[in-house]
Amino acid sequence: MRSVRPRTTGVRPRATGVRPRVGTRLQSEPVRFWFDGREYTGQRGDTAASALLAQGVRLLGRSVKYRRPRGLLAAGPEEPNALLTEGTPPTVIPNVPAPQLILRDGLVLRSQNRWPSLRYDLASLLQAGGGFFGAGFYYKTFIWPSWRSYENIIRKLAGLGAAPGAANLMPPSIEHLSCDVLIGGAGPAGLAAALAAARAGARVVICEREPAVGGELEFEGATIDGQGAAHWIGAVKAELAQRGSRLLMDTAIVGGSDGLVIAHREPGGLAGCNTVYRIRPHRFVIAMGAVERPIAFVDNDRPGVMLLGAAERLLARYGVVAGERPLLFGNHDRLYAAAARLGAAGIQVRATVDSRPEAAAASGGAAAAARAELSRAGVECLFGHAVVAAEGGIVLRGARVAPLVSPASIRRFDCDAILVSGGWSPAVHAGLHEQGARRYTDDAAAFVADRQPEWRLTAGAASGLLDLAGVMADGFAAGDRAARACGATGSAGRPPVASGDGNPRLIPFWRSPASLNQEKRQFVDFQNDVTVADLRQALAEGFIDIEHIKRYTTLGVGTEQGRTGSILGAAIVAELRGLSLARVGASRTRPPYHPVTLAALAGHRVGAKLRPVRRTPLHHWHAANGGVPESSEYWMRTRFYRANGADAFSAGIAEAARVRAHGGILDASTLGKIEVVGRDAAKYLDRLYLAKASTIKVGRGKYMVNLREDGMVLDDGIVLRIDEDRYLATTGSGHAEHMLSHFEYYRDTEWSGANVALINVTEAWSVIVAAGPASRGVLQTVLGKPWYTGLDRLSHMAFVDGRWQERELRVLRASFSGELAFELHCRSDIALPLLQALADAGLPPYGLEALDILRLEKGYLAGSELNGQTTPLDLGMDGLLKLANPCVGRTLLDRPALHEPLRPRLVGLRAVDRKASIQGGAQITAANSPSQSLGHVTAGVYSPTLGEWIALALVARSFAAEGTLLVARDPLRGGDTRVRVTAPVHFDPAGERMKS
Amino acid sequence: MSSLACPFCGPRELDEFLFHKTLPEAQGDEYAVYERANRIDDSLEHWQHVRGCRAWLRVRRNPSTGEVREVQLLGRGHS
Amino acid sequence: MNGAQRYSAWALLRARLAGPGYWRSLWSGATLKDAYDVVVVGAGGHGLATAYHLAHDHGIKRVAVLEKHLVGYGNVGRNTTIVRSNYLLPENHYFYEDSLRRWERLSRVLNYNVMYSPRGVLDLAQSDGDMIGLARRGNAMRLAGIDAELLDRGGVLEFAPELAVSGPRRFELVGGLLQRRGGTVRHDAVAWGYARAASALGVDIIEDCEVTGIRTAGGLATGVESTRGYVKAERIVFAVAGHTGTVGGMLGLTLPIETHLLQAMVTEPIKPLVGSVHVYAHPHGEAYVTQSDRGGVVMGGFLDGFPSYTREGQWYRLEDVVQTAVALLPHLAGLRILRHWAGTNDMTMDGSFIIDRIRHDNVFLNGGWCYGGFKAIPASGAACATFVATGTAPDLIRAHGLSRFKTGHLLDERGAGPFPSRQ
Repeated sequence: MRSVRPRTTGVRPRATGVRPRVGTRLQSEPVRFWFDGREYTGQRGDTAASALLAQGVRLLGRSVKYRRPRGLLAAGPEEPNALLTEGTPPTVIPNVPAPQLILRDGLVLRSQNRWPSLRYDLASLLQAGGGFFGAGFYYKTFIWPSWRSYENIIRKLAGLGAAPGAANLMPPSIEHLSCDVLIGGAGPAGLAAALAAARAGARVVICEREPAVGGELEFEGATIDGQGAAHWIGAVKAELAQRGSRLLMDTAIVGGSDGLVIAHREPGGLAGCNTVYRIRPHRFVIAMGAVERPIAFVDNDRPGVMLLGAAERLLARYGVVAGERPLLFGNHDRLYAAAARLGAAGIQVRATVDSRPEAAAASGGAAAAARAELSRAGVECLFGHAVVAAEGGIVLRGARVAPLVSPASIRRFDCDAILVSGGWSPAVHAGLHEQGARRYTDDAAAFVADRQPEWRLTAGAASGLLDLAGVMADGFAAGDRAARACGATGSAGRPPVASGDGNPRLIPFWRSPASLNQEKRQFVDFQNDVTVADLRQALAEGFIDIEHIKRYTTLGVGTEQGRTGSILGAAIVAELRGLSLARVGASRTRPPYHPVTLAALAGHRVGAKLRPVRRTPLHHWHAANGGVPESSEYWMRTRFYRANGADAFSAGIAEAARVRAHGGILDASTLGKIEVVGRDAAKYLDRLYLAKASTIKVGRGKYMVNLREDGMVLDDGIVLRIDEDRYLATTGSGHAEHMLSHFEYYRDTEWSGANVALINVTEAWSVIVAAGPASRGVLQTVLGKPWYTGLDRLSHMAFVDGRWQERELRVLRASFSGELAFELHCRSDIALPLLQALADAGLPPYGLEALDILRLEKGYLAGSELNGQTTPLDLGMDGLLKLANPCVGRTLLDRPALHEPLRPRLVGLRAVDRKASIQGGAQITAANSPSQSLGHVTAGVYSPTLGEWIALALVARSFAAEGTLLVARDPLRGGDTRVRVTAPVHFDPAGERMKS
Repeated sequence: MSSLACPFCGPRELDEFLFHKTLPEAQGDEYAVYERANRIDDSLEHWQHVRGCRAWLRVRRNPSTGEVREVQLLGRGHS
Repeated sequence: MNGAQRYSAWALLRARLAGPGYWRSLWSGATLKDAYDVVVVGAGGHGLATAYHLAHDHGIKRVAVLEKHLVGYGNVGRNTTIVRSNYLLPENHYFYEDSLRRWERLSRVLNYNVMYSPRGVLDLAQSDGDMIGLARRGNAMRLAGIDAELLDRGGVLEFAPELAVSGPRRFELVGGLLQRRGGTVRHDAVAWGYARAASALGVDIIEDCEVTGIRTAGGLATGVESTRGYVKAERIVFAVAGHTGTVGGMLGLTLPIETHLLQAMVTEPIKPLVGSVHVYAHPHGEAYVTQSDRGGVVMGGFLDGFPSYTREGQWYRLEDVVQTAVALLPHLAGLRILRHWAGTNDMTMDGSFIIDRIRHDNVFLNGGWCYGGFKAIPASGAACATFVATGTAPDLIRAHGLSRFKTGHLLDERGAGPFPSRQ
């Protein structure tokens, strides 16, 4: 295996296996892992970033556009460069930020976006293009011959990690929490807020994205209430636990809407084994700290240029030295405290470069003391200076520093790291939605949270505070306020007294001086290679507003969601425009507040569980008898039975033929059924159906049609009158819910006052259809003597209620097949025995495929005709319309357009040659105008009864006369069929068979 | 607005409810089925608590902020 | 065209050699004048395209586009970038096909790369019933000379191998309707491309200028009231997408518009995975999935379901869309969403758009685009401009007037009726 040890000058990689590193997150136990094909060893608690840096691996990635070599910049999810792919294809997880990726034994990691290797990447030659590939260059070219000619290559070059090939992710656990106070962030502000709220008696939940609490207390060396920070944190955790507060680690708050907060727990930083929390807090305290900002200077993206806080975290958490001889560069007093801490760890700080004038730095206090100590140690502290360029390629060699008053007088420093801090941007994104806002404040030189809806508060950095004492006091006050708002009355006690790094006294400094030509190597958004030159160019091209600039240059659209780049970019734009940053603003941030996996949103609804499955009580009988299921809305229904044919087509024909010749049974339990009961039931139904329901006699049913408000047919079904004031309305399968809502709507709005109860009894009744010439005989056999006479006398569209095996049974004589048929409505506990008895007595089952053939032969309507675009007139219900019943939708039915000659009319079709197929979905045209559609075939089947294909179609009225010759055009599936218009009823038009 | 307070059931998650329509400015004739009031800050709407008590509700909301101003029961005895 | 710098690879080379400062503004900072021949309200895709065609096709000299906020900040910058003409009704498919043919040429016409990518739009079927519905639509398209293919399950997997999964789906893929010429276009480029072209022809594009009303005299509009003062106009076009509903208030009319919210999202960028546009609709959910050229997987679904101007959607609706997208492409599950956002959609009572005079003979409405506005931009601009310039609606949009709701000539593709939350 080829070695990938980088060449380094003057820097010894830390010897491994000799003495374990010590850090707040480390244990000594070794962990083995692979990176780009080579094995490395880290320690338990290490992240990929810390372990690799500890072994001297500085080169961790390449940027998107220019493929520049990159190292680690940050210590959190704001890391733009070091994105790794975990796993072996095809099961890979791309784009995992190295500082978030906690090591496990055997982890296989790869760098991304490079070929053939990280060190020697072919596409990095693009860097020579420099200004050619500036912002938006692809809008200006790639036009000839077409974008498509270039697209494939560009798509392969774009993108970061490899596409995942398979996902073995476990669905998350989902937990619902309600609490009084939710606190986002367990840094100093968050912990103080939690303490106050919990002491006041509120139920508290805290979400902390990291695997440890404390935020910057982890490395700052603060003193709180007279103890060291670590000690204080331990005491707080214990107290919170004792008071019943819930601390969720590795849990990032990702989003939500209006009072619902969604948090996602991902221990280890890899997707999988995770929990989604759905939290409804009474109050939400945003205490998520702030993200450190880089400063733009020439080649500020080289491996070895890192955020100062990242280096401090690497040292404190993992005992990793980012550079043995670093140069520090920034615009605030923290520089010195940090330098002192690094020095105490044996690191030789080369110099500190402060862009502020010396007068701006604190003259007393901890910062001044730190500076004095640095001077004593021989570390040069420069003021009014800036790092203007980094030197080196894959390995950092030095820094070029110049005074701001004369940027041409460059001094060179040898160093192996440049640790940069341009200040901090408060993490207020969780406070920006639902009328939340932010505003720029000069004090913090940052955007802080502004007005918030009542249920959200901010604390600490989000409020613009940057000194530890202020942060803790603010957090404590916020927690207290939040608890009181929830009605908690306990005493929060005294706020903790903290002293750490004091007020940084920051003066904004966003970019070092550079010539125009050098600006294209001053990086603002590292991942997307957006430079100062790009920002300048965008402005020149008229993209002045920061939103336009974001879209044009792609500033802030990377995986770090603009955390390091957006505000830096906005500030530089403000400088270029000569305006204040407050005026320019920063581009809108969008949720999620933290990148969240699709798996977390999919939850448990994955694979077969995407949506529920509804089964009839007879489901298992169908399966046991060779039924092939079909999904229909949520229901599982049987399409055909295997014994009858190899596929739906042949089985359907066989089953349909048998029903006509002899008989069969069908499970129609999914039929929608709504009971309509009450004094006003008859009158009420009169207004919802095209024909009157009040004229239906008790004991009889009628085929009825509902209209939608605009006159289109909404649904059809048989309505039974069970009693004077009691009806059963049936609806199409899967329509019951919708029709029920429609009925309830009119009862509760237009006719409120109507004494009508509506009950959905779809699931209360199983329905078995027994159809065919033999059906009556079999039914009499199965139901027994008490039923004989009744069944003999039962006329078409009448029903009788009785009992079978001591359970209720309703037998309705109605037919959708056109044969003598009976619908048996019974409770589910006798459905199975009844069905089995009928089968045993000689009626075999048939499925939906056969049903479609049977109903089509009779010209009966189904969903393909009742498609929401057809009126009763279109469907041939002239008789019903003549009744002129003033029901819902009747008036709009009279609109002239619905009576025009081109309006569709329901017809039957036969192939002229009596052989060709006619399929649903074919378009109908006249023979001599092949491109003008006159309608379409709604459904077409091969009819065993007639020995040829038959169809139902909707054809323009003026072409719908029987005998008209038309063409069914079906270029998608094979071709044209010459057809003849017939009546929709193809078989037994008088209905003699079903009325026998 | 991710919850609605049903007069029967109390505050429930929004996905238990189904929006039907905003009301037109004036209750006109049948053609009013094609009309809707379109005020950017005030919307009178019909919703149903479909995954709950199935009550029909008149909801007054601000569609620009999501704020729910009023929820009233529709139906017998109410109007 | 005059007035704009020509773009090309050579121009890029010249810029590289010339150094910084070579490129000029795409649309020059215009000053608002007192009077115009046509004032277009809204600098979104439709407004800018209309203004461009007014100047280019009809030589109308004094045109202003007044924009409340920023060019392209509304729906044109928020959509899921899909273009297609696979509509059922002839009144729609001829129009959208005109648009698609314009998309094919648009980069050359505007001299701006809008990245038209005909990668195919695939509508997937879950049942034989679905297939019949798709066949009806596809056959109607073929009759009109528009490309459409019906694929069976094998054909779907051959066209889009990424759809092959090992486990069962809740709603199986039975086949699909493919329009190969459909695909994606870079949405921001459309707004900027039209703005640049229009500006080069002398159109004044004025940002930060909100129109608050109109003035009338003798039954005609005389101009618009705006936050920058009164502007005289002989003709006015409202192209304000999600705010179409409020135009009614401005003019004292009730419109057949209900304003809904539509969410979309994009994942982290990855190497190519999704090669075409997939539309997966099952009885209780819908998702469309495509992958941008930058590598992020873009997804959207159905409306949130109730009126909203907030541009912030409901979490449970986002979950619905994600569930359906992951059901279609399970390997998406490990990817992370970087951004989700929402747009405001002016839904009509039949789901089809409206381009018509409104209230006064010289005021026009270009709206009601529901969730299908983006793909219509080129045809909309051309047809609307012709309507405004000549006073007669061109054939392509003749059926899309406001009166159709009264007369009954509805253009209801889905058969959902006057309930936009179901369209």
